[in-house]
Amino acid sequence: MIKVLFFATIRDYTREKETVAEGSGTVGDLLLELSDRYGGEFRDEAFDGDTISDRVIVLVNGRHIAHTGGGETRLSEGDTVAVFPIIGGG
Amino acid sequence: MDKFGKVLRVNLTTGTIGIESLCEKTMKEFIGGRGYATKVLYDEVPAGTDPLSPQNKLIFANGPLTGKGAPSAGRYMVVTKSPLTGCIASSNSGGFWGAELARAGWFMVILEGKAPKPTYLWINDDKVELRNADAVWGKDSHASTDALLDDVGDSKAKVTCIGPAGERLSKLAAIMNDKNRAAGRSGVGAVMGSKNLKAVVVKGSARPYVENQDEMKAVLAGAMEKLKTNPVTSQGLPTYGTAVLVNIINQLGGYPKNNWQGAYFPEADTQSGETLAKDFLTKRYSCFGCPIGCGRVTRVGDREGEGPEYETIFAFGVCCGVERLEPIIEANYLCNEYGLDTISAGVTIAAAMELYEKGFIRKEELEGGPELRFGNEEAITYWTKKMGLVEGLGRKLAEGSYRLCEMYGHPEFSMTVKKQEMPAYDGRAIQGIGLNYATSNRGGCHVRGYTISPEVLGLPEKLDPVDISTKPTWVMIFQNLTAAIDASGMCLFTSFALGADDYAAFLKAATGLDFDGAAVLQAGDRIWNIERMFNLREGLDPTNADTLPDRLLKEPIPDGPSKGMVSRLPEMLPEYYKARGWDVKGLPTDTKLRELALK
Repeated sequence: MIKVLFFATIRDYTREKETVAEGSGTVGDLLLELSDRYGGEFRDEAFDGDTISDRVIVLVNGRHIAHTGGGETRLSEGDTVAVFPIIGGG
Repeated sequence: MDKFGKVLRVNLTTGTIGIESLCEKTMKEFIGGRGYATKVLYDEVPAGTDPLSPQNKLIFANGPLTGKGAPSAGRYMVVTKSPLTGCIASSNSGGFWGAELARAGWFMVILEGKAPKPTYLWINDDKVELRNADAVWGKDSHASTDALLDDVGDSKAKVTCIGPAGERLSKLAAIMNDKNRAAGRSGVGAVMGSKNLKAVVVKGSARPYVENQDEMKAVLAGAMEKLKTNPVTSQGLPTYGTAVLVNIINQLGGYPKNNWQGAYFPEADTQSGETLAKDFLTKRYSCFGCPIGCGRVTRVGDREGEGPEYETIFAFGVCCGVERLEPIIEANYLCNEYGLDTISAGVTIAAAMELYEKGFIRKEELEGGPELRFGNEEAITYWTKKMGLVEGLGRKLAEGSYRLCEMYGHPEFSMTVKKQEMPAYDGRAIQGIGLNYATSNRGGCHVRGYTISPEVLGLPEKLDPVDISTKPTWVMIFQNLTAAIDASGMCLFTSFALGADDYAAFLKAATGLDFDGAAVLQAGDRIWNIERMFNLREGLDPTNADTLPDRLLKEPIPDGPSKGMVSRLPEMLPEYYKARGWDVKGLPTDTKLRELALK
């Protein structure tokens, strides 16, 4: 199983802080699975068409997917995926 | 140039008050604020000056945009020689004080000497006088502000002042304006205390001059559109404040725990911006002219106050092993009242906890106070009070982490750069920010060059935090741009949406001077280099100073997503020197100094 964590305004769409998913494929597959589960608002935030949007930051085991293959990043049993909106601070 | 504000020079020893004009050439080269004031300090304070002596100078400086039509442009800087680091101190604050100084017709206030007794400066437009502060000496920043407003008889005046920590010369003392906004870092409050100067109270009645109002309106319209459509400035910061970073930095494995003995905190969500917004936030706070509104007004029990920022949550929370927000918020309120820098205060308590747990601080030294153990909620508030009052063991804590650890023979437990406590990102997990800490002119600091933006948040580009190949150049560019923004009077947070060309457009409209993006970045480079020259003249040895604590260089992160990582600073530093046009020893070359007209 994959542990999925949601943060900040992403929680407005999921109504929960975390969940588990089968997610044996790619990050893109996982976000599609989650879009089915949480509905249009989540999907609209997570995707621009078929591409993962720049409005979300997705970490797999602490690594931004931009540096691991993007939506094609492969997931393995026991991985932790964290989904954030674009945020900033200082 | 007087239309842009004048320079007020006050000799506290003699009570002499002088008025000077701004120099157009200096404004073009150094912009204002952090830049202009550093140029003054460099020219006027000789090498080797004791920071807490009358010979040091304390400069409050606006930027050319402070109090004018640009967004989030209410910032002022406090520039002096730091008693904490012995290097340049340049602390930035928002709120409304800087804008009021601009309304009173002043660009900069230079304070010299030492008043013979507790004194405050009252600036009422062009009427300036030194007044007795006996009645407020010893009071905290909130009580002092209320009493001083009564004393001047104008509730709309603005106050910047020190609390007991500054009066008692704590090297962690901040200068507090509008009660809860802080020029926090590098012990600037102690310099003010050493001069027997309790406060500067200001009231202005004029509209600050803008050279080209129509141009200003046009630039503002474009910038506001960018700020309103940028997800960070329009949603993330207003909704959650800076504390929104808690979870992402922790998930990345860069959230320094227990005095940097770890970098991952499973309980982080308990102290996150999301929890803060849900359980403690009563309303947002916006500084002068700010459309973002990242400030947090919070309530704990029957106490209402401001904060915490992300940095404060880190310092009193994870760095001290404390999980819940209530004691962290309480410690933040205490820092605001006593006038302490929250980052340095929390990180110093964390160092004391490590010293205590390893048996170097003895239980008898606590004099019955709560044990300095990681996770002890009571300890962070109790020892903050002691630090703020500079009494008991708090006397040692008030010296900061480096001197505290050195007193006990273990400086290796001090998580400092140039003796200033590092902020809330682990330079082992995020390589660029480690390089930025190591090279920061004012010691451990994130807002000299906030590479967290590209390395974690993906703005303006997504840089891999563990890759070092391009970091030296990125750090340099961020440091230069930040110096220029600090000099302008605008808030650094606007840079999530705006770039060098935007700041140049504002500066050109406000001053009529021929700024463009390249000139702004070069001014930032010039500011960085004159700060470096100040430090070198004070005897800074780059070999020992441009570095990180051994813990970050040699002890791999023990657990979490960044397990096994150390800082690769030794590989990055030579490339950084090269990018800066410095020699292999980290000294600016003649060519570089001539390029910047610094020689």
